[in-house]
Amino acid sequence: MTRDNGKAYILPAAALLFFVTIYPIAYVIYLSLHRRLLIFDISRFVGFDNYLFLLKDDRFWNALKNTAYFTASSVSLELIIGISIALLLNGNFRFKGAARAVVLIPWAIPTVVSARMWEWICNADFGILNYLLGVKINWLGSPIWAINVAVLTDVWKTTPFVAILLMAGLQVIPQDLYQAAKIDGAGNWSIFRRITLPLLMPVILVVLIFRTLDAFRVFDAVYVLTGGGPANTTETLSIYAYKVLFQTLQFGYGSTLSVVVFLCTGSISIFYIRLLSRGVK
Amino acid sequence: MKYTVCKDRLLSYKKQLNHGGHRGKSTTFNVKDSLISLCLSVSVVNEFRFLGLYSLIAAFLFTCGCSDTGKEVPGPVTLVFKHGKIAGDPELFRGLLDRFERENPGIRVKDETLPASTDEQHQFYVINLEGRSSDFDVLSMDVIWVPEFARAGWLRDLSRLWPGEEREEFFPGPVRAVTFEGKAYAVPWYIDAGLLYYRKDLLKKYGRKPPVTWPELVESAKYITQRENDVYGFIWQGKQYEGLVCNVLEYIWSNGGDVLDDGKVVINSPKNIEALRFMRDMIEEYKITPPLVTTAIEEPTRHIFGSGRAVFMRNWPYAWNIFEREGSPVRGKIGVAPLPYFSGGVSASTLGGWQLGVNRYSRRPDAAEKLIKFLTSPESQKTLAMTVGYKPTRKELYLDKELMREQPFMTGLYDIFMKARPRPVSPYYMMMTQVMQPEFSAVISGIKTPEEALASAQKLMGHILEAEE
Repeated sequence: MTRDNGKAYILPAAALLFFVTIYPIAYVIYLSLHRRLLIFDISRFVGFDNYLFLLKDDRFWNALKNTAYFTASSVSLELIIGISIALLLNGNFRFKGAARAVVLIPWAIPTVVSARMWEWICNADFGILNYLLGVKINWLGSPIWAINVAVLTDVWKTTPFVAILLMAGLQVIPQDLYQAAKIDGAGNWSIFRRITLPLLMPVILVVLIFRTLDAFRVFDAVYVLTGGGPANTTETLSIYAYKVLFQTLQFGYGSTLSVVVFLCTGSISIFYIRLLSRGVK
Repeated sequence: MKYTVCKDRLLSYKKQLNHGGHRGKSTTFNVKDSLISLCLSVSVVNEFRFLGLYSLIAAFLFTCGCSDTGKEVPGPVTLVFKHGKIAGDPELFRGLLDRFERENPGIRVKDETLPASTDEQHQFYVINLEGRSSDFDVLSMDVIWVPEFARAGWLRDLSRLWPGEEREEFFPGPVRAVTFEGKAYAVPWYIDAGLLYYRKDLLKKYGRKPPVTWPELVESAKYITQRENDVYGFIWQGKQYEGLVCNVLEYIWSNGGDVLDDGKVVINSPKNIEALRFMRDMIEEYKITPPLVTTAIEEPTRHIFGSGRAVFMRNWPYAWNIFEREGSPVRGKIGVAPLPYFSGGVSASTLGGWQLGVNRYSRRPDAAEKLIKFLTSPESQKTLAMTVGYKPTRKELYLDKELMREQPFMTGLYDIFMKARPRPVSPYYMMMTQVMQPEFSAVISGIKTPEEALASAQKLMGHILEAEE
């Protein structure tokens, strides 16, 4: 009996994968080389015209800038606050279980709901924030504050996720290392810097990959909060791509934007994976 | 792990199969075999096993989503009428449709409501009409969608149903909005236009008349806010959304400028720059408008004015009934007037309202046309005006004695509706508004100067219209 090499058995799954991932990606790249207005039956091959237009498109660069700022601030804030919360929750105290559950609540609330909630909190006329601070700042209508409020909403929502993951990472660090360090007379900060942080590095990198990619592709939180903000000051790449694709139905240029987002997230992933593999070595 | 147990079992079963099939039988394709190989392949690709599962689910859902080509339903003709939420009691509207059914035995009308958000309604229509759905026959469209749907070939040409002499009986603005390449693709159903609301009592107290020009409005607002506490001068809708474009166009048009002229983009003009600068100055320099307008839409401004905290407001006619209700703090203290204009210009209002069209893929176009003729007839429009407050698109109703008696406010809006102008009538309007909204918002928030914003808008809108070439 000859042994078949199993290629035929992989075919169904490979076909499925092809149709669900490779084919759409290739089709989007194909669309991005066209001027395509689906509903008017306009379809013209324009080569790299869309990409050239994108390079000159101020709105794209603005969206990229907003996305970069949003990603950088929210990820760093989440990391710092997340590590602090993880360290605090790692210890043994009476209501440990309840505290960990409560910390997870922002993560459990659907993003759309929490964005709406923050929209009302920051309302210039009736919001709690202005009431508590005693000021009358138009948070969501100010070009400077709107994006920071969006960052705040995202940090509030996903810091628990970071904290829980880091807490899991902290649990794995053997306790004798801490005891040895205490015997050697190391202070808290040295313990943190020399023992905790290096051993936490792989977990931190994994958390960074997740959060950076998620923050880069953020859509719902910002869209519900400001809809792109006063004069596009909170418009991220995903929101811009959505508006072009689904509100103006320009499938050619929308695909170009999607390809660029795909390339950016791809580069970020490669960068982090390189870091991760180097770290493991 | 579960999947390895499954895999082992499957591999052993496969071995059994091979032994069984060795007895001279040719390998025939059967369901069991292919199912097993599918499971095997899914289990082999173990890193992506969730992806495999999700792909399967996605594939199933995908095929379920395909609509079946409908079959002709025997018996009485059933029309489906798709529209947004009808204001007021739905029973009243149903009564109107029942009257149509009585006058047209053999036709039944089923009306289906869409989500309240106009964006979602637009998405629904685009998805379904691009998919050539025959699920609905008559649709209710926002005034800005008609050229787009007409260009996409989704609307039936109604020129035969609605000839020239009939069109004369309607307001000119809506007629222009539903005409594309000389043909009419929808019939205007009810109309809306921007108005200036003002506090009669405050103006009287300080001896002022309702302003006719924008500088007059600024002067009155400044004078009154300096002497009254806790009152804004002039509020309007300045959030980055469609309503902002409605507001800005009223200033542009009242200064003699425009956005599109005979198909060409002329948005970057000195008159437009002047108009936009005036809007920013109202916030920054004259300080009669609070900065909160940059996040305000219709309801928040209606709230502020309705609680007595503003002298002037620009809004749509719907607010009037709310202000005149029992218990409203401003009951009896409100007046309305056409919007002011710049010196040398004319008052302009942005046209709103909804139009009725026939789905080109409808299987009952003649019955659908009958329904449209009925709903836009003088009797139906009068009924709707008296019951739910929809303002008629037929000019003659504004001289109707009964309507004038029951709804004096509505009939008094005749002049404003005559002057209501549609937003740029172009299939590309949805794309153009996506360019205009952020540019106008940037000027109002002080991020860009009017010159920069309009230059950028000119460039981007020109690029959009190049698609036709």
